[in-house]
Amino acid sequence: MASGVDQAVGMGLVGFSLLLFIYYTLWVIVLPFVDSDHVIHGYFLPREYSVILPGIAALLLVLFVGTFIALVMWKNRKPKKTQ
Amino acid sequence: MTKLMEWLSVLTVLGVLWATVTFDLLGLDPPEAVLQVSWPLPVFLLVALGCFSLGTVGYRVATFNDCQTAAAELQAQIREAKTDLQRKGLRF
Repeated sequence: MASGVDQAVGMGLVGFSLLLFIYYTLWVIVLPFVDSDHVIHGYFLPREYSVILPGIAALLLVLFVGTFIALVMWKNRKPKKTQ
Repeated sequence: MTKLMEWLSVLTVLGVLWATVTFDLLGLDPPEAVLQVSWPLPVFLLVALGCFSLGTVGYRVATFNDCQTAAAELQAQIREAKTDLQRKGLRF
């Protein structure tokens, strides 16, 4: 069996991704078919944000990955040997 | 046909279908709810794929089997290799 911390982190990821998927599915797929005066609409932002927020998240991801690569390459630079 | 061409043709067909519904290119006048579901659909599929990937990675991390004996053996072999190479002059 995987160690305790591994299990906790793993199942945490599973739970988080499940919650995110359910919330996002409700937002994009279910809400348009619900009457506009239903109370559930108060728990969700306007529909534009269902595209804008993932867009920002993707941008941040690319930013982090790029910064990480830049940092690693900077740390591993070797000065040129002069004769 | 190469795999790339297969994927691109499927994506193109699906993209044309999506654009036809979202921007009402054939004048079919879909109901408001259908339009509201249709236009975020590509982003939704990407987010769903991301969630699925994250969940799969998390599940595999949680159910990965530790092999205690193999781990101990590997550590011993690493120490052995290190001392051997250090004796031969390699610096860590």
